[in-house]
Amino acid sequence: MEKTLAKKDFPQWVKKLTSWKIYLPKKDAGGRWNYAEADGEDVLETRQATLPPKTILFPQNEILLEFSKSRKGNAETLEVKEVLPPAEPTVVFGVRPCEAKAAWLLDEVFASEPRDIYYWMRRENTTLVGLACTPPPSDNCFCTSVEGSPHAEEGSDILLTDLGDKYYVRSLTAKGEALINAAKGLFEEAKPEDRKKVKAVHTESEKKIQRELKGARAVSEKLKTMFDSPFWDEEAMSCLRCGICTYICPSCHCFDINDEIIDTTPLRGKRVRTWDTCQFPDFTMHSSGHNPRPDKASRLRQRLLHKFQYFVQVYDKFMCVGCGRCITMCPVGIDIIKVLEKVRDHGA
Amino acid sequence: MAEEFEPRIVAFLCKWCSSAGSDLAGVSRMEYPPNVVPIQVMCSGSVSPLYIFSAFNKGADGVLVSGCHPGDCHYIKGNYYARRRLNLVKQLLEYIGLEPERFQMSWISAAEGTKYTQVIKDFVKELKPLGPQSKLRRTP
Amino acid sequence: MAKIDTLKEEARKLLQDGKVKYIIGYGAGSNGWPAAPLFIKQPEDVDKLIWDPTCIHNLVRFLVDEKRRKGKEKPPDKRPVGIFVKGCDSRAIVVLLQEKFIERGDVYILGISCEKAGVVDDAKLAKKLAGKKVITIEVDDENRFVLTTAGGKIEVPVEELLAERCLECRANFPVIYDVLSGEKTKRAVDKPFGSVEKIESLPVEERWAFWKEQIDKCIRCYACRSACPMCYCDECVVDSIQLAVSADTTADEKAGRIKWIQRSAAPSENMIYHLVRAIHLGGRCIDCGECERVCPLDIPLRLLNKKLEKEAKELFDYEVGFDPDLPALISSFRDDDPQDFIR
Repeated sequence: MEKTLAKKDFPQWVKKLTSWKIYLPKKDAGGRWNYAEADGEDVLETRQATLPPKTILFPQNEILLEFSKSRKGNAETLEVKEVLPPAEPTVVFGVRPCEAKAAWLLDEVFASEPRDIYYWMRRENTTLVGLACTPPPSDNCFCTSVEGSPHAEEGSDILLTDLGDKYYVRSLTAKGEALINAAKGLFEEAKPEDRKKVKAVHTESEKKIQRELKGARAVSEKLKTMFDSPFWDEEAMSCLRCGICTYICPSCHCFDINDEIIDTTPLRGKRVRTWDTCQFPDFTMHSSGHNPRPDKASRLRQRLLHKFQYFVQVYDKFMCVGCGRCITMCPVGIDIIKVLEKVRDHGA
Repeated sequence: MAEEFEPRIVAFLCKWCSSAGSDLAGVSRMEYPPNVVPIQVMCSGSVSPLYIFSAFNKGADGVLVSGCHPGDCHYIKGNYYARRRLNLVKQLLEYIGLEPERFQMSWISAAEGTKYTQVIKDFVKELKPLGPQSKLRRTP
Repeated sequence: MAKIDTLKEEARKLLQDGKVKYIIGYGAGSNGWPAAPLFIKQPEDVDKLIWDPTCIHNLVRFLVDEKRRKGKEKPPDKRPVGIFVKGCDSRAIVVLLQEKFIERGDVYILGISCEKAGVVDDAKLAKKLAGKKVITIEVDDENRFVLTTAGGKIEVPVEELLAERCLECRANFPVIYDVLSGEKTKRAVDKPFGSVEKIESLPVEERWAFWKEQIDKCIRCYACRSACPMCYCDECVVDSIQLAVSADTTADEKAGRIKWIQRSAAPSENMIYHLVRAIHLGGRCIDCGECERVCPLDIPLRLLNKKLEKEAKELFDYEVGFDPDLPALISSFRDDDPQDFIR
């Protein structure tokens, strides 16, 4: 389904979606962009939020179950209650196409057996409305180098393209159509000249991407030979071992599960899944005390290998969507493009 | 009318003085409010700031650390360290917006059963109007 | 402005003579920020060194890594490491010496004075540039930042772009060094604790509202502790990596290990983490502001540490990072320490 929507009607569309919970990028008091709930004054902007919409599909804390112990006389009973995410229909507007593509990558991971019901309940209840990037939201965008594009459709339910005074609205799934049907009167059928214009805008947007990694597939191949290279020690010298690069990454999805006690008498607690990262020393710590990734070099290597070698081997896709967040946010300027270029040219 | 709020106080009491002081209050059958969860420690100087944060985190409405009067420490100078360290804790807690009444420190010797009851009475009286402490409390 | 040329020559000589293991300095960044940490092993790479007001990183953090690395070397290379330090960074070295974490012979200190300027704040700079890309930043003779962009030069008074910590700095030239570049001139500071006093002046509930909003943002990436030269504990209170396990350790013992702070990035847990970090830095923090700078969510963490710096000064007349022979704040006391808060 291809339609157009006058830009001035966008707030109307948001207002009509009364049975959805709505998020879109908003600027906070400190000037940062975040995915926040709609508040009646909603406009779409091509901005990169600090945290990707991963926070909505795969929140940092997810309660899996609750448990409590009770005692009657000498008999102790342990009660375990399943906790599922709230089944509320949700829309995220203004998702960067790379972020939607990251959701599509997470789908691969969480669809493999055993299927992750917590992720899928949220995913199936969430409609992602992408907005093509014109211009790129960051100087460090490099989506076109990792088989993506500023107007990629993977993962989105609707892709919007800014045509000046209106949005070109391309619905990609039934979820997307439901969103359009909820405010039918606002949309017009797309005309052939709109289609032509969209194509031109899309082609133009690709040219505006400022950064490039040539030969990403070759990097994947090369990485297979570099596991034991001293290269990683050199590259990781300035790494601080913090979790920024992975926590703000739209496609990083590693987690930890802990039982968290709320009360001890009587025992009451919850099992919580939280984000975790390969960059922390305790991520791979065995209970024996052995740590197979004992230093920051091996952990930096892991991040790159997961994204550019292992994932490619299993799913034939890069686990990096080229949003450039890790480059922009790294406190010591570790630049994934530069590192991968060095990998590519290593020993040549 | 709703039941009156009864604050829960976690009291870290030095084994050599304040804890003995509380025992004296008990064996002398002095009356004081039953709001205290006493935790005997070897010295007020052994109370890590983490214990205090953690007590608030686990639901204490007030925390008391009580040790020997200056000069009387069983380990010569533990209470001097405590005095310095816990002053910083107090300043920090107030700075982030915890009510200043919620963290208290006292010097109570083994002979001061009466003082112990008075400190607890005053503490309970000050905590009551504040209501339950929820700022640092772990989300249920 | 301090010149790096003399230090470059010194660095080259040190490397040529094999007097240092390597040198930690600043080189060109590639992610849009002009400077980044640079590690140099070869004398010919010395020309890659830079010095400008974007050299914001406190490189002393890397001495913590070096100590760990050296611990694993067999036999250890005992030569010192060359390191570039600003005034604030040098105070971090003083604390590491004071705590006997490193020895004086472990470092060869190449000091650079910030003179009457300091380093730029990334957020303030971004705002000033409004989308333009900065190529170089220099300090001119009239104490202004000169920003060179593709579209020309912009001149700004230093106060407008300086990082908050520089505006409250009390050590704008290194207090310890082997060689020094630049003048030992001080920039006048009228209110060394102005930022803290602003928060202190709020009523208690507003203070809480302020901190709650800030700390709720935390995603526990631990960049604050990772960037901190004083956060060198082998095991942090939020981790559980050093659990000693023997053949007899039971599953219950492993599971029963105290978890002071839960893994969930819940408001209460975040707050306890940041309180513990603040108190652990009490009398140790030298206000390099790295925790605040690296925070991806812009939590003003420096204000927590600065508060304790203020209390140390006002309550105990204690100033850290100037004298390596000073006893640590909380492992010392005076008979007349204030006790008016004690009943």
